[in-house]
Amino acid sequence: MNICRDGMEHETASPTIEEIGKFFADYAACLLGCGATCIRIEKNIGRMAETLGVEADMTILPSHILMTVNSKDGLATWSTNHRMHHTGIDYCINTKLSRLSWAMADGKIGFREAVAEAKRIVGEQPAPEWVVLLLASAANTSFCRLFGGDGESMLLVFLATMVGYRLKQVMLAAKVDVRVVFLCSAFCSSVISAGGHLFGWGSTPEVALGTSVLYLIPGIVYINSVSDMLDGHYVCAYSRFMNAAMLTACLSLGLCAGILLLGLSL
Amino acid sequence: MNDMLLNIFQDGFFAAIAAVGFASISHPPRNAYAWCAVIAAVGHAVRYVLTTLLAVHIIAASTLAAFTIGLLAVYAAPRAKCPAETCLFPALLPMIPGMYAYRTVEGLLLCLYHSEEAAFMHNIYMLAYNGFTCAFIVLGMVLGATIPIYLFKKISFRATR
Repeated sequence: MNICRDGMEHETASPTIEEIGKFFADYAACLLGCGATCIRIEKNIGRMAETLGVEADMTILPSHILMTVNSKDGLATWSTNHRMHHTGIDYCINTKLSRLSWAMADGKIGFREAVAEAKRIVGEQPAPEWVVLLLASAANTSFCRLFGGDGESMLLVFLATMVGYRLKQVMLAAKVDVRVVFLCSAFCSSVISAGGHLFGWGSTPEVALGTSVLYLIPGIVYINSVSDMLDGHYVCAYSRFMNAAMLTACLSLGLCAGILLLGLSL
Repeated sequence: MNDMLLNIFQDGFFAAIAAVGFASISHPPRNAYAWCAVIAAVGHAVRYVLTTLLAVHIIAASTLAAFTIGLLAVYAAPRAKCPAETCLFPALLPMIPGMYAYRTVEGLLLCLYHSEEAAFMHNIYMLAYNGFTCAFIVLGMVLGATIPIYLFKKISFRATR
């Protein structure tokens, strides 16, 4: 890349097969980590590869990307194994990386600009934690209403979700194992929402108890799993399903522990 | 009639709040929030009408409502300039059969509490009934919602262009 007298950067040298391979592997690992479906990863990589005049073959494994890039004449090849980026489900990154692939395919940006832009996108800060905390609590409260909960139950669910979700944020920030986080958050939320049963608040205490842990259900991972299965990515589909089932089992354990600890008669 | 309309509106309204809240956990772009809310409200209201007014079974109703959500998400994706999944998945979450899931866990616990055969068999029945219903609702929802993305691949995967 050269910087000309007009101050603008212009790409002069074409990227090497190694540079392309590394970028594609990193890009795919980011998309996999932020919760993109396998078909989207393949399509995005495919359109960028076509633009750059190379062939990209990849295997999407549960937490790795195996990427092989060949030049069209078959004289140069590059293979790499890249670990998935653990960013958590993030549709903003998914959307921006998908837009980036189209920008490159439409010739709006060059290869090196795309590499820099992808790094910038992955480094962006998500929404403030307190905003997500409030919105998630309001969402679970609405969930309680949808299942027929009364005003007292909704208030209990709001409090239980707020405390449980905050605990989840703090424990995840402290790098505690995600399964332990789900268990502790579900336990905490179920103990708070059991107030309806213990003190006779409201007429729908079982709805409060049942919905207080629903913010933890990994719904998007389940949906991604079925989407991958429909597309024939059975290994990834199975892996995502088992991951979600494990988290669901942990939250059920936390809920059961809360019920047993307080000796609730169901 | 007015009560029914009010119920449908309430159902859609709370589904919209739930969708926005659950969407925030997965950090969608800001312009996708409004679409998530509208799509979730329509989808949940469709299920409410099917189960309450037309007495359709909850599994079939959830599948049809999810299909509606999928179609709306494919329509919304190019307008919001984001992948169809960004609008689709959060809008689907308010339809998750949470109480069936809770009653499955409750059935499991009650099986452990009661050792008498009659009570144990009843709780096994509750566990299996709620567990199967929950699993098939989720499967129907996910299949119903994902099929439009595959039916309209060109729109779904060009939305971010």
